[in-house]
Amino acid sequence: MKEFMLLFLGPTYEELGLSPEELQGRMGKWFAWGNKMQEQGILKGGDALYGHGKRVKGADRIVTDGPFVESKELIGGYYQVMAADYEAAIEIAQDYPDYDLGGSVEIREVVKFER
Amino acid sequence: MVDHLFRHQYGKMVAILAKIFGPNHLDLIEDALQDTFLKASLQWRKKQPEAPEAWFIAAARNRVLDLLRQVQSREKREASLPHSAVALEIQDFFLEHEVQDSQLRMLFLACNPNFSRSEQICFALKSISGFSQKEIAAALLEKPETIKKRISRARQKIQDQNIKLAYPSPAQIEIGLQGVLQIIYLIFNEGFHSVKKDQLIDRDLCGEALRLCKLLLTKESFRSGKLYALFALLCLNSARIEAKTRGQEIIDLKNQDRSLWFPPLIKLGQDALMRALADYDDRSAYHYEALIAYEHMRAEKFEDTDWEKVLQYYQNLEDLLPSQSLFLAKASIYLQLQDPSAARAELECIDPNKLAARQYLYHATLAEIYSLENKFDLAQKALLQAIKTCSNQLEGDFLKAKLEDINKP
Repeated sequence: MKEFMLLFLGPTYEELGLSPEELQGRMGKWFAWGNKMQEQGILKGGDALYGHGKRVKGADRIVTDGPFVESKELIGGYYQVMAADYEAAIEIAQDYPDYDLGGSVEIREVVKFER
Repeated sequence: MVDHLFRHQYGKMVAILAKIFGPNHLDLIEDALQDTFLKASLQWRKKQPEAPEAWFIAAARNRVLDLLRQVQSREKREASLPHSAVALEIQDFFLEHEVQDSQLRMLFLACNPNFSRSEQICFALKSISGFSQKEIAAALLEKPETIKKRISRARQKIQDQNIKLAYPSPAQIEIGLQGVLQIIYLIFNEGFHSVKKDQLIDRDLCGEALRLCKLLLTKESFRSGKLYALFALLCLNSARIEAKTRGQEIIDLKNQDRSLWFPPLIKLGQDALMRALADYDDRSAYHYEALIAYEHMRAEKFEDTDWEKVLQYYQNLEDLLPSQSLFLAKASIYLQLQDPSAARAELECIDPNKLAARQYLYHATLAEIYSLENKFDLAQKALLQAIKTCSNQLEGDFLKAKLEDINKP
């Protein structure tokens, strides 16, 4: 088994102006997906991220306020999951709820120390 | 999680905060709440609170403090601060009966006579029912910008005319209540009499109307024959919701699968109707519409309908408020009673051009009259006209089948 990071990119719900009803619907889908992975024992961790933030950059450690990228590239959250290979990880990512909102999932293998 | 929990909580929280801060701060209030619901949707992805409602109440209390600061800096005047709110136990505003009271006041605010009818509906759906502008636009088949304008016009009027979150004065309460009932009735009909791509939103509108009606019933002094009759009407019509559409098509009473009608709602409607008739003396269009719905639901088959009674109720409706579609309805009842000349007399009261999408019904009814009178040439002509003006495919097919029947020797 390998470990993969699923990074969720796309506009925030805030920007999209989702209604309370839509927010509840989205939340329910995320919850169901998390539960499913939990039951399969493949979910290692992960959380949602707020849209705003800070960035520290350069030799002078200049601090700037976010957002730092175009909204379609904004990282809204991440999961760490266990999967045999990329194919299996892609399969897991099928359940990501926000494709229809223009979101995408970036999948990256986590580097592990080998003895 | 309970269906529509977020939407309903949103409406409750708007009402509570509007009571504390005044409806002139609605913009600020709704912006602040948007943030609360966003947070909930992100936090609850992983773990949901055991008591979501309590979570929202706690969040709303925090919002009170945020808003106090914002209102303070916005107004820069100590005088206009809701001192009473601070002095009073804020806690009290969150008691169940206080929340209900706030929502009822919001309902009267939405029906303020200074708002146009369309502003009233949009305002109610946004600030009481927690629909977004986009959802309201989809529900009313309007552009989101139109909805936005209506809502901001209503809010501007609250500012300009210093409208408070208060019940009408005792002298005005009767008129105020009538306005509230009418808005509930209109919201229901927006959902009930339309077929949209997204049928969920139609059902949401019907559900919202029922919920608001129930809310009014919680307050004893608001109960009246009219209110019970309206509640009965909404229940009886809602009971048929599953049966009245197939895909994008509306199925009329005659062709509905009556086994799909929902008995618990019929029972609820029946009980409310009995109360409206037995416990109160007032009579209204809601009464007769509910009675008509009830007569239809009592009949096991379409053919078993007690047409004489239905006709009487339509006559009562007409005495209260004549309209083109009433004449049409009565004409088709006379046809059921095999009385073509009475049916014709009703049709003669109608200007078919005023019927809009229902114009085909006029021609179809006319065709039936001619058929009963054995004037098949004229029946054929009328049917062709009906088919030409009919945009409902199911009905169109039905009319074409009829035409073929007539053409057979």
